[in-house]
Amino acid sequence: MELCRKNDLEEGQARGFTVAGFDRKIILVRRDGRIRAYRDACPHYSAGTPMAWKTDAYLNGARTHLVCHAHGAQFDIDTGKCVSGPCLGQSLTAIPVTINQSGGIEIAAQTEGEESV
Amino acid sequence: MNIIGPDYLVFGVDDIAACTEFLTAFGLEPVNLTENGGLFAALDGTGIIVRHKNDPDLPAALPNGAMLRQQVYGVRTDADIVAIADELAKDRKVHRLADGTIETTDDLGFALKFQITVRKQLDMPAEKINAPGAPAQRAPNELGVWDDMPAKPRTLSHNVLFVPDMEAATGFYCNRLGFVITDELQGAGPFLRPKANDDHHTLFFIRTPEHMKGMEHLAFHMGGPTELMVAGTRLMNKGFESFWGPGRHKFGSNWFWYFKSPLGCNVEYDADMDKHDDSWVARQRPISPEASQMFLLQFREKWIPGPGPKP
Ligand code: FES
Ligand SMILES: [Fe+2]
Repeated sequence: MELCRKNDLEEGQARGFTVAGFDRKIILVRRDGRIRAYRDACPHYSAGTPMAWKTDAYLNGARTHLVCHAHGAQFDIDTGKCVSGPCLGQSLTAIPVTINQSGGIEIAAQTEGEESV
Repeated sequence: MNIIGPDYLVFGVDDIAACTEFLTAFGLEPVNLTENGGLFAALDGTGIIVRHKNDPDLPAALPNGAMLRQQVYGVRTDADIVAIADELAKDRKVHRLADGTIETTDDLGFALKFQITVRKQLDMPAEKINAPGAPAQRAPNELGVWDDMPAKPRTLSHNVLFVPDMEAATGFYCNRLGFVITDELQGAGPFLRPKANDDHHTLFFIRTPEHMKGMEHLAFHMGGPTELMVAGTRLMNKGFESFWGPGRHKFGSNWFWYFKSPLGCNVEYDADMDKHDDSWVARQRPISPEASQMFLLQFREKWIPGPGPKP
């Protein structure tokens, strides 16, 4: 499923997408040319709560980490691992990303039985 | 020790522009704002002070890098500052500054400052409601809502700290500074009220591991539930993100609506909190969704059941 074109995600930018089949937005983030996708669900509380302080505002000021803006948890952009804050050591749920031939950023559709809880 | 409550909460942040956008949209007024930060004030002059986290004038950060850098308490008189200084100087360094304020740290390492309160006495009506059986609060032709009605935070209400050692936290604020426990959510922590404030709480603790020490949320009082709903709806319509609410808490009876922020903590509108005096006997309830709120609602975009079929 294509979320946007590669050109629509600038270096040092994060964006959230509402995607059919997912109960949370999907965050796309690009840093050092690499593109990662995560569920917009902070692991601090078991329900997994959305992380931006306003639409698409998922990054810290220096754009080096994804942040949950409820209590400031910081996540490594490459691995999704929480490096400081309430959920230290826990991780965001990564979603595999592929770039298709026409330059679109795709994630795999949510298949039955994999529903996130 | 006539402590009234927090005058200012001071933060060291990594994105002053983002904090400025959030706090002004929230309804606070920038005061002496530069690219190095400034004060964001409620109507009575209390508020949030934002500086860059590397600003050398800020008190030291906690080892975990929490953005909260100081809680500035307002007291009534110089005599209160002297009494606090004398009490705390028994077992810690108390810095007496040239302007008559004092700075120190609590038993958990949170930086504190005490000053004669900056709170201006507000003279504004509470939200007025009309109900059968009671005298109307609004005059004939006086409207309850209108499109551009004001909905500004009136005063800094309370803050909530993640603390690893509940006994140390409660002991310090109650035994050394004269706070009283109004209620307790067992499994989370106690609600505290300082002596010179009758609000249900200005301070609440949540027990957490050491690495989480810092601010959980802070809150401003609104003029009533309608202002809270209006202010929150305006934030939602601008793309800001709710964390919890709107709803109404049981302990304190205050309406709430929490928003995520670039300050490393949630920022809450509250309204219509209970008042207490020393005759109040603290309640205790195990924490649960049921114990923590009377009701909880979820924002949705405006909608009407229509238009229906044409006549
Ligand atoms: S909910 Fe994300 S840090 Fe607390
Ligand atoms: Fe609160």
